[in-house]
Amino acid sequence: MTGFVYKELKQNLRYILLTVVSGFIPLIVLIMFRDSGETASDFQKLLEIGLIGGLLLAGGMEMAVLNGDDRRLWAYFVSSTSDGYRGFLRVKYEMIFVMSLLFLTSFTLCEQLITAIAADKGMMVESTTSAIAVPLVFIQFLLRSVDIPLFYRFGAKKGNTIKLISVLAIIVVLFTVLLINIDNFEDVYNSVCKAFTEYTRSPLLPAGAVAALAAYYASYRISCRVYLKGAEKYDK
Amino acid sequence: MTNKKANIKRLGLYLLIAFALSLLLIVFRKPMETSARVSFIITQLFSFSPAIACLITRAVTKEGFGDLKLHFNFRGNFRWYLLAFALPLVCFSASMLLPVIISGYGSRLSGFTAKNMLSVIFILMGQSAVVSAGLLGEELGWRGYMNCTMEPLFGTFGTCLAGGIMWGLWHFPIDISNYLGGGGSLSYSMESAFSRLAMLTCFGVFLMWLTKKTDSVFPAVVAHFMFNQSQNALMSLFMESDIPEDADVGKLADVFGYVPMALVAVVFMYLLLRMKKTKTPSV
Repeated sequence: MTGFVYKELKQNLRYILLTVVSGFIPLIVLIMFRDSGETASDFQKLLEIGLIGGLLLAGGMEMAVLNGDDRRLWAYFVSSTSDGYRGFLRVKYEMIFVMSLLFLTSFTLCEQLITAIAADKGMMVESTTSAIAVPLVFIQFLLRSVDIPLFYRFGAKKGNTIKLISVLAIIVVLFTVLLINIDNFEDVYNSVCKAFTEYTRSPLLPAGAVAALAAYYASYRISCRVYLKGAEKYDK
Repeated sequence: MTNKKANIKRLGLYLLIAFALSLLLIVFRKPMETSARVSFIITQLFSFSPAIACLITRAVTKEGFGDLKLHFNFRGNFRWYLLAFALPLVCFSASMLLPVIISGYGSRLSGFTAKNMLSVIFILMGQSAVVSAGLLGEELGWRGYMNCTMEPLFGTFGTCLAGGIMWGLWHFPIDISNYLGGGGSLSYSMESAFSRLAMLTCFGVFLMWLTKKTDSVFPAVVAHFMFNQSQNALMSLFMESDIPEDADVGKLADVFGYVPMALVAVVFMYLLLRMKKTKTPSV
């Protein structure tokens, strides 16, 4: 293996492995507190909390692979290679994409295993957590498509501050929407769960997922445009 | 050791491991019936056996992991990803819809509305981008390793044929396990196993072409996912339609079941052979 892929794998292997581990968080919790799973709903809750915790951890790992890239000399160096900074950014985007896939695959495996463990204990866990994980992974793509250009344009410190402000704004908006629709929350949750499992529902949510993929690609193009501009402001 | 001997050794070891792991489905059939955990572990070992076999073989024969074909290679190849997405869907649409339309039930396909079709396409697009990753367990082995090792030994045509048969045979333990578990008669299990073998041999040609064209296993992963999933998606649209349960499309369905995939095999075999010719340096 050569080029940027080799460099990224060597440099970020621990983050990639931690992303896989983050999918197995519910299983790790289950092993640590092995006698606590008394009912099917306990297992269901464990999976739901594990999904949220795992997603946050995986998101952190995805951003951690960017650490150290905001150096001016490095930016000049990658620009001078045969693949150029576009090739460098492409590998970064591809790696973060693969990390999301790894998280989803490991979480799905973990969910199946926990369902099997519950079945052996005589409990029927009808888990929908994997179904909700798919739309959440697309939301991750949307967040990354905002994070990464900000990081490359303004560097780690300033980029993270801008991101924090925008994420807080999004959370406030989401909570407001949630509070207004609190009575219909279960309906909304169910329709999101079924968005990728039932083929004859509204095409809006799946279309949103495809739009998230398009946004991720657009984000790559934006990062390519702003990379050299940002490099001028990086530390040496 | 000559190249030919080394390739035979690699191929033999790969197939031995992949098939040995697939036989676990039969060996552990009884424990799988009583324990969901055992069932989960054996099923996953079976699903990932080609990838496991590929990695073990590469480690044992010391050929290295450099050419695993795990790059996306999007640049210049995005259209082949789109083809990998669309072709299985078109094929199965043709093989499932044409017999129904020809038999005169076309007006009853009420589930096939523009909204539903759009929903199916978007869902499959989203799923093939993120959910299909699990199929890397198969494609890393069959297209990423076996085909590359087979081609110098059997040629392109031979690889498509022998590789497709091997791929189909590897699925046999599913049918045998189902039969032993009381899921249908032996003739039914064999019929389903051999019809899958024929379909996979044809479809394998397209997957091999995709892998060679893009030098990546990911388009094959997408196409494989679409091969599995587009049938489910179309079936769900059929369920929404009001086709009578006793509707008989008879032999027509059998014929159309194979024709589109056979056509795909012929076209992509031609393209594979042409690709080989253009790559051969002139003397």
